[in-house]
Formats: sequence, structure tokens, C-alpha cells
Amino acid sequence: MTQATKNRVAPAQMSDAETLWYSGKWIDRVPQPISIVVLGAAMLGLWWLIAEMEFVSRILLPGPAETFGELWDTGKNIVSGGHLAVGLWITTREVLLGFLFAAVSGFVLGVVVGETLLGQRAVMPYLVALNALPKVAFAPVFVAWFGFGVNSKIVMAMFIAFFPVIVDTAAGLHAVDRDTLMLFQSMESNRWQTLRKLKLPSALPFIFAGLKTAAVFSVVGAVVGEYLGGGKGLGDAIRLSAQTLRIDRVFALIVYLGILGLLLFGAVAWAEKKLLFWHKSEIFEIQGTG
Amino acid sequence: MTAPADRVDRAGLLPRPVNDEVVRITELSKTFHKRHLTALEGVSLTLRHGTFTSVIGPSGCGKSTLLKIMAGLIPATSGEILLQGMPVTGPRQDIGIMFQQPTLLPWRTSIQNVLLPIEIRSGAAAAEAKAEDALQLLELVGLEGFDRVHPHELSGGMAQRVAICRMLITGPAILLLDEPFGALDELTREYMNVELQRICRERDATTFMVTHAIPEAVFLADRVLVMSARPGRIAEVVEVDLPRPRSLDMMTTPEFGALVRHVRHNLDMGTEAGGQP
Repeated sequence: MTQATKNRVAPAQMSDAETLWYSGKWIDRVPQPISIVVLGAAMLGLWWLIAEMEFVSRILLPGPAETFGELWDTGKNIVSGGHLAVGLWITTREVLLGFLFAAVSGFVLGVVVGETLLGQRAVMPYLVALNALPKVAFAPVFVAWFGFGVNSKIVMAMFIAFFPVIVDTAAGLHAVDRDTLMLFQSMESNRWQTLRKLKLPSALPFIFAGLKTAAVFSVVGAVVGEYLGGGKGLGDAIRLSAQTLRIDRVFALIVYLGILGLLLFGAVAWAEKKLLFWHKSEIFEIQGTG
Repeated sequence: MTAPADRVDRAGLLPRPVNDEVVRITELSKTFHKRHLTALEGVSLTLRHGTFTSVIGPSGCGKSTLLKIMAGLIPATSGEILLQGMPVTGPRQDIGIMFQQPTLLPWRTSIQNVLLPIEIRSGAAAAEAKAEDALQLLELVGLEGFDRVHPHELSGGMAQRVAICRMLITGPAILLLDEPFGALDELTREYMNVELQRICRERDATTFMVTHAIPEAVFLADRVLVMSARPGRIAEVVEVDLPRPRSLDMMTTPEFGALVRHVRHNLDMGTEAGGQP
């Protein structure tokens, strides 16, 4: 830090190139799309190199070419309504329903925890304890309770996804501006009015941060449920492909699951942008990493 | 100019005619038992109709606590506050309050923010019926045409003007201002002080303002209450008899300077706020 600062305040003795180099600015000046493409290409090249040199068996680590070929084939299977299309549809339904239940139950519990002293004092400790458990370990329990069908996967998706919604909703209700709260008090606002007209709207950025995390987590939950509890979703297809050492197919299916997660995340982010027109986009982006 | 001592009067001992009295506070004390802190001790004062009273004092002198008790937001430990002859036991419609931050709801337009107190107290229909009043208030503070603008499109000074309108919409008998322009830059702040003077005069408002800027306190006030800390009490009352309307140029006159010096002299110099202008 001090070295860099020193260089930056004494540029007179340095050439332009040196100044740029020392202040590290040339790399910051590269436009974002170009740096993304360059970094992506570098990683692809590294992958290709590792696969080509056969540091590990070609079967265990297929190169980019095989993987993209498989991506194309699985894509054709999905578009033409093959068995992967059925699997993708099953997983999508599990993810969407799991996310929906997580959003609703997480929001309701979050309001209870954030608004009531009992919720804060009694419910929250249990939620924290429950959250600390490895939630994935519950998958066999849900399979035992809800069977090998989609239900156990929906429950698993919901179970993993609803904690961030609870915590963020409660945190959002607590983060309300104290002066504004005092203003509402001075207007003799009752509890319901304060909740509806002040606390919930100002908690929305937090709630959306929780929902965006939940969108990603619900994909995790559904796939974990499918790994452990069978069914016909993409998770099961991945498990079968891995067992038959079709790693290229595993990669291809992971890409499609990633697209599913991204689409859901994007839909939530889009709704946030539409709804929270007053909210600063920088916070939007920082929270968007969840 | 008369000697400053002539302006000094002990708090609570002011013999005033009762008829135009808006607020009467007698022997008000506040103790925070949990912190074993006596925030206020034996505060007595009266606010007459149409007057502007500034309260100044070092940090921790209880000036904000006094304002919150007057607003009915926190209870006093002992003593009494009468507003228009009725004891203040909680928030009331005839009390208007404003904070350092505009505390506007960012998802509401200016006019929706102004109408919020009506909406909370009497419902959306009553607020709708008051829309014309809200527009007139926005015009009064110089925000004509900004009624459908959201707060993030307003400057800090404009946002505080909307907050002024929101405070005025219920037609309060007393305006309580807690460092209302403390978050604004110096130029905007001076301008807002002139504006506030104009608005208060046009509305014939009774105003009680907490500040820690001495020139601001003197510029706006008919009376400056100087508070001292631990325990918080009114140490001096300085009458400001400068003619109105006051302009910013007036702040360079020797009379103004003498009053500022006098107030500063009476502030407890051992604390942080005492040394500040």
C-alpha cells in the first residue's frame, strides 16, 4: 500500500509506461467484456492443455472439445424432447416448487423472527442451530418420509433454500432506520402500519438478497435429493453418467443445471430491479453475489 | 446594544402572560435508570405562540432527550409538559417533528411522503382529500412541480423541504426540529435557515429547534436556551432582539457577533461543542 502510494505521488521521474505499470492501471483500463473473454479463454486453454497432456486419464478428464460436443448432443436430446428433457423438466419443477415454498415459508418465519420478541428470543436460536447442521445429511430422512418421487426433492430444495430467506428477512426488518421508526412513532402508527408501510418495504433489498441465495440453493437441494433419492431428474442422470465414467456428459449436465440456476437467479434479480427502483445498484450488485 | 447580561434570564422564572402560551414545561427531569444517568434535571420553560426558540448545548446535555420528551416519544421521569393546556403523554397530531435526516420513504413520491402522517392517522381517503394542501405546502417551500418526484432524485436540501411539508401537513401547534440542517453543506444550510425563517413567519409557527451551531441558533431564534451537561439543565436564556426578517448579511453585524460571543461564552467550555463555532 505505502509502496504503491509512493509511486503514485511521484510520477515525475517515471516514464508513462512505468507509471502505468506501477499504479497497476493498465489492467484496470481493460474493458470488462474483454477481460472476461480473455480470462475465460485462458482457463479453457489451461483445461485443454491439462487434458491434452493426459496428466490424468482422458476418461476422467475429457477435454473442452469432447465436453462441448457432449454439450451439443445433450442439448439436442433436450430440445428434441428426449429422456434428458424429461429429466430437466422434473428437476426444474423440483427447483421451482422448492424455491417457492422456501420463499414463502422463509418470509413468514423471517417476519415472525424479525418482528416478535418471542421469535427473536426463542425461534431464532433453534434456527441458528438448525442452520449449523449439515443440511444435506437430511436427504435420506426426507426420502424415507416423502418417498423416492419428486416430493422428497422439493422438500430438500426448500429445506436448504429457506434459511437465507429467514435470516435476511429478519435482518432487513431490524435494519430499519431508527429516525424513520421514530417518525412513525410520532405519527401514532400502529404495529401493522409500521410493518406494512415502513419495515417491509425497507427490508426488500435484504429479502431479495435472501431470495437470490435461495434461488441458487434450491438447485443444490434438488440435485442432492436426486443423488441420494433416485427419481428421474438431471441429478440422477449425473449420478448414472459418473458411474459409467461418462464425465463429459456429467460436465454437460452440470452446465444445464447451472443455466437453470442462473435463469432462476436472473428472474429474481430482474424482479428486484423492477420493484426496487429507488435502490442503489451498487448494493444490488454486491448482494447479488450471494 | 445593551449589555448581554440584560438578555439573560433564568429558565423557568420567566413571567409571561398565559394566554398565548403554547407549551409550558415545569420541573421536567429525566433519569435513565439503567445507565444511572440524569439526562435532564429541573427543566422549566414556556414557549409562546409564534416564537422561535433555539436550544444549544454540549453533547450529552440532554437537548435531544428534551425534544423527544416534548414530542411524546419518551416519557419524563418527573415534571409536566402542557401543550395547548393538555399534558403530553404520548405522540399527538398537534406536534410536528423533523430530524437531521429527511427520513423520507424512498419508494414514495414527494407528495406521498408529505401525506404520510394523514394516511397513517386517518387512512388513504383522508390523505387523498388533503392532496391540495400538500401541493400548496410544496409550493410554500419552493418545490412546486416536484410532487411526483422520488427522494433519490432530490438534493439533501430539497429532501429536507419535503420533510418540512410532511411536518406541517397536520397543522401542528408546535414544531420540534432536531438539528434539521446538520447533515447539509454549509451553503445549503445557510440558505435553508433563511427559508425556515420565512416559512415559520408565514405560518406563524411556534418552533423549538435543537442545534449545535451557535450562529444558526442565534440567526433563527427569538430566544436561545443554553444548556449545560451532567445533569442536563438550562443554564442561560439569551433573548435575541435582532429585527426580522433577518438576512444572511445581518450575520456580519457587530450585534450578531456580540450575541454569538455571548452564547459561546455561556456554553460549557470544557466540552467539545463549546469550542466549535
